[in-house]
Amino acid sequence: MTKERKTKDVIIIGAGMAGLTAALYAGRSNLSTLVLENAIVGGQIANAVGIENYPGFTKVSGSDLMTTVQQQAEAAGAEVDEFDMIERVDLMGKTKIVETQSYIYEAKVVIITSGMERRKLPLKEEAKYSGRGVHYCELCDGHMYQDKVISVMGGGNAAVDAANFLTKYAKELYLIHRSKLRADKASQDKLFANPKVKVLLETEIRALHGEGRLTSITIYDKAKGEERELPVDAIFVNIGVVPNTHLFEGQVKMTESGRILAGEDCRTNLPGVFAAGDVREKEIRQLTTAAADGTTAALLAEKYIESL
Amino acid sequence: MVKVYSITQCPWCDKVKKYLKSKGIAYEEHNIELSDADRDECYKISGDLIVPVTTVNGKDFVVSFDKAKLDALLGL
Repeated sequence: MTKERKTKDVIIIGAGMAGLTAALYAGRSNLSTLVLENAIVGGQIANAVGIENYPGFTKVSGSDLMTTVQQQAEAAGAEVDEFDMIERVDLMGKTKIVETQSYIYEAKVVIITSGMERRKLPLKEEAKYSGRGVHYCELCDGHMYQDKVISVMGGGNAAVDAANFLTKYAKELYLIHRSKLRADKASQDKLFANPKVKVLLETEIRALHGEGRLTSITIYDKAKGEERELPVDAIFVNIGVVPNTHLFEGQVKMTESGRILAGEDCRTNLPGVFAAGDVREKEIRQLTTAAADGTTAALLAEKYIESL
Repeated sequence: MVKVYSITQCPWCDKVKKYLKSKGIAYEEHNIELSDADRDECYKISGDLIVPVTTVNGKDFVVSFDKAKLDALLGL
């Protein structure tokens, strides 16, 4: 079946903070704007339980914050489609092509805000236990472990915040990290103050065990040089993120790790293609900088369209 | 009959429910936070400790949001 062709001024790929902010600004500039999202509207932050460092909010859930930003973007005229999956893009020409399962879109500008996804647990048994003890969404799956022994793998803010959240379900919680904690002090203080929590630093997870579902893991204490088996019912994996940029390989210039090369003006190597938010190679990646990137990309996209 | 096993704060559960609504498909929501029986049933259906789980006519099911599988089961 031939797909219907549609035209847009701006197509934004990814509906996290950068993408929805770009949509808000592009919509307010009267540009016909479509946001496409293959995963969750709101992006990674939609899973955050409590955000305390976004200006204007003492504490807000990621879901509530991003729902509001989506509503703002839609009120400004942008359209958000989270069900029509992108199959391919061709960004090299003056007219940008974004083909989804249902349509072929032609756009003057594409803003890439596809963000990051969680790194998988790098063990061969990962697939066997995924959903059966190995998890990547605390909000969705934490409830399944009422009064169980939960472990969290990782040492950054996401890991420590996940551990703090999961203590409400866990009988006992282990935070396991291969080096020192990098999370901010406020989150660490909360973690260490909880009597359910044991923090195992300089410790690696080396193997997973269990019939049908996870029942224990093998951990290696680097300082002691000792390996031992630890009974746990679940591991929530928070060991960093990888960029969602496979769609753009061979077209947009990237770093070796797959982040898109673009300056503070968010312009990529391709005219009319911008990159904003965590997917852009930069030193600081926060919600606030994602919003700033989205703003910059949309306003410079408008200028670019005016110049055509 | 379509059933969605979910919890209150769960972005993927929300996505499944929004998708069903967008297609005009009625569903029965089973919040496993509110019912141990639903939680046990959810685990029995999929064997996974994960939500959302969507069942169609009590036998076929989809774990998480998988548009292709949902479409196939729902005949979309």
